[in-house]
Amino acid sequence: MILGMTSRKAVFVAVVLAIALVLPFTIDPRGYTIRILCLMLLFAAMGQAWNIVGGLANQMSLGHAAFFGIGAYTSTLLLIHFGISPWIGMIAAGIFGGVAAFVISLPTMRLRGHYFALATLAFGEVMRVIGNSWSSLTGGPVGVSVPFAKPSLAMFQFKDTLPYYFLMLAALIVVTIIFVAIQRSRIGYRLQAIKENVDAAEVIGVDTTRTKIFAAVVSGVLMGCLGTFYAQFQYFFDPDTVFGVASISVRVAMIAIVGGIGTAIGPILGAMFVIPMEELANQAFSAQAAGLAQLVFGALLIVVILVEPRGFVEFGRRMVRRFRKGASR
Amino acid sequence: MAIIQAILDGLMIGGVYAVISIGLTLVFGVMGIVNFAQAEFLMLGMFVAYYAWAWLGLDPLLAAPLAFAVVFVLGALVHQVMIRRVLKAPAVAQIFLTVGLLIVLENAALLMFGSSFRSVSTPYQTSALQLGSLFISVPYLLAFLMSVASGAALWLFMRTSWFGRAMRATAQDPMAARLLGINADAMHRLAFALGVALTAFGGAVILPYLTVSPTVGGQFVVLMFTVVVLGGLGSVAGAVVGGLSVGVIQSLSALAFPIQLQNLVLFVVFIGVLALRPEGLLGGSR
Amino acid sequence: MTAPLLEISNISKRFGGLAALSNVSAEVHRGEIVGLIGPNGAGKTTLFSTLVGLHRPTSGAIRLNGRDLVGLKPHKIAAAGMVKTFQNIALFLDSTVLDNVLTGGLMRHSVEEARILARQCLERVGIDHIAGKLARDLSFPERARVEVARALCTEPEILLLDEAMAALNHVEMDEFLSLLRDLRDEGLTLVVVEHHMRAIMSLCERIVVLNFGQLIATGTPQEISRNPAVVQAYLGRSAETGAH
Repeated sequence: MILGMTSRKAVFVAVVLAIALVLPFTIDPRGYTIRILCLMLLFAAMGQAWNIVGGLANQMSLGHAAFFGIGAYTSTLLLIHFGISPWIGMIAAGIFGGVAAFVISLPTMRLRGHYFALATLAFGEVMRVIGNSWSSLTGGPVGVSVPFAKPSLAMFQFKDTLPYYFLMLAALIVVTIIFVAIQRSRIGYRLQAIKENVDAAEVIGVDTTRTKIFAAVVSGVLMGCLGTFYAQFQYFFDPDTVFGVASISVRVAMIAIVGGIGTAIGPILGAMFVIPMEELANQAFSAQAAGLAQLVFGALLIVVILVEPRGFVEFGRRMVRRFRKGASR
Repeated sequence: MAIIQAILDGLMIGGVYAVISIGLTLVFGVMGIVNFAQAEFLMLGMFVAYYAWAWLGLDPLLAAPLAFAVVFVLGALVHQVMIRRVLKAPAVAQIFLTVGLLIVLENAALLMFGSSFRSVSTPYQTSALQLGSLFISVPYLLAFLMSVASGAALWLFMRTSWFGRAMRATAQDPMAARLLGINADAMHRLAFALGVALTAFGGAVILPYLTVSPTVGGQFVVLMFTVVVLGGLGSVAGAVVGGLSVGVIQSLSALAFPIQLQNLVLFVVFIGVLALRPEGLLGGSR
Repeated sequence: MTAPLLEISNISKRFGGLAALSNVSAEVHRGEIVGLIGPNGAGKTTLFSTLVGLHRPTSGAIRLNGRDLVGLKPHKIAAAGMVKTFQNIALFLDSTVLDNVLTGGLMRHSVEEARILARQCLERVGIDHIAGKLARDLSFPERARVEVARALCTEPEILLLDEAMAALNHVEMDEFLSLLRDLRDEGLTLVVVEHHMRAIMSLCERIVVLNFGQLIATGTPQEISRNPAVVQAYLGRSAETGAH
């Protein structure tokens, strides 16, 4: 066993990692494709952060944009007003993301399923409204730009896309490691217990409140940090984008669900499907009519859910089982 | 005096909110599914009424039954093709199906109707009745009366018709209902179609004082959910109480806050209700 | 006389208008095996749920080792040493037997230590051969035993067993009774709810009888079996439903 993985899995991960490291050198470093790959990595990381709450804790959050947007604004405003490096700003972004997650945990502690989804949706919208109306702080609906600085690692700004790619890849690896670490730890077992039977969990000594808050805060901190990544990559954002229900909240949840909620590889698979799909739909259809791309995308989502509500991983397992049954005849 | 005016306006608007939201609570009560795309059917109802006005010269209030009928059929279709299949799936899948439906409907509308905002003009649009020093806006009043009428019709339907009672039976005890020969699937379809059609009806009725665009649904999503959660998910009477409350809250907060923050008050109320009393003021059936 | 391990003083629990428990008082001393019996609906499970903190008593006091437990959340009461099993088995169905039991040990141990402890608990209860099975795939007797193993893994001082023997046959029950006696000899205190009279009579040193939420008798098995109120409680019911 290497790092807790079977040797087969370890080889698989090593191969994938190797491909990921080499891939960007095979394509145009200034091109469009590599930007899509960067977004794919970033959204996979975001999906993985969501996965901690949505997959491990089984709480459907539709408001993760709140933490993401707070993170993006925190580091960017610190940069604009105090010239603080985005890396330091990212620490603050994570802290504020975690605080926000803590704040929303309290009133939603006893909610499950649809009720929880609704409450978190409302929270995300609260942040968006605040972002749009508190113009003196956030610049309002017009949005905010990351000030231009000489390209450097210290200031998290680069001329080429390649450095961003590797940073996003590193972020994805870190978030995934955190996910797996939690899954295997005491907290992971406790979350599983809470997912299955809250009363029984409490009776055998699981502090359900503290465990749930922990998962929420970790998820919030990570989303906040990823908000900084986004800001530094896109150079510009507005409240409707970073606090958006469709653009962020639903998307990151969708990525984790489509890929396989609760699994470490799920968000990665999901992002590999969703992000390029969206781009393809945009490219193929946007020219003809506004909305067609999104329409196709929404229809695809519906089809995926109808075919296998538990996502690609489960679909894959089902296919494997069917294959095995057929082979043993 | 401004406060009394606000409360009056709020009650009238609230009556409409109630009718718009009854569909949401009906679907949840009978099927246990929260339809995140409900507000899109509102938008569709508004568009049906708009085109009835633009092409046929029909007043939106007269076109409301037409909007009801059209969306009823659409709702039955949507249930048959999609909703039915996630009835037993985990909540995650249900939520995502209706979210996907939201995306599809909104963008289909965008494609068909374009993104511009449109409004109708009716002869009574700016008129108001005067009651002492209070003004009663005629469009509000008419919308309110139509809502009351449709609400009463629904109440009668649920109480006295076979379908209505069968739906309630399915909601309360699916097993027993089945044993009585009630086809649960058909009841679900009826509930869903009825629910979205009522929301569309409400949309037509508010067209005289609002503008319509494919994105108008978004403004109503949290509002509708606040109404049903406040009243209790699954309780039709609750939707009425919730609707009136939300109307008044919105109206009063318009006095104190600028337009962008008005919704904020609503959201905070929403989260507060979920935190403190998720079963709502009247306690839901689930 | 040493102080009792568990003191239940005038516990009442109302749900709306219904009095599930009225003024129940009892003591359990360290190392005792106490039986809790009564007709269906007498309030036995409600009493257990109240003791571990799933319900807050409307009035009364609960003291474990002198420490007041009323108002504490169940996980704190578990940490203090009192744990119960569930009558309608509450296992984590999508987890393996080992994972179910292991979770009980996480209060005081790391995952690795808890895993070792879990295996030991499974061995004691005689089900270590099914450690890898999913809880969902178990038979009823197996599930009941996993419940017990999981509770044991929390290393309790006092264990409340709610009809743990319901699905066992004769032979299994004797094995189980023997296990309980061994656990008691090792220092565990037990309060047992059972409907098998033979088991209760042979196992318990003292028995507490509830009916309609009230304590109607306590004493040794001999005393209880001759107590007219107890007999009435059990037989009176069936006499009412008879053809009179």
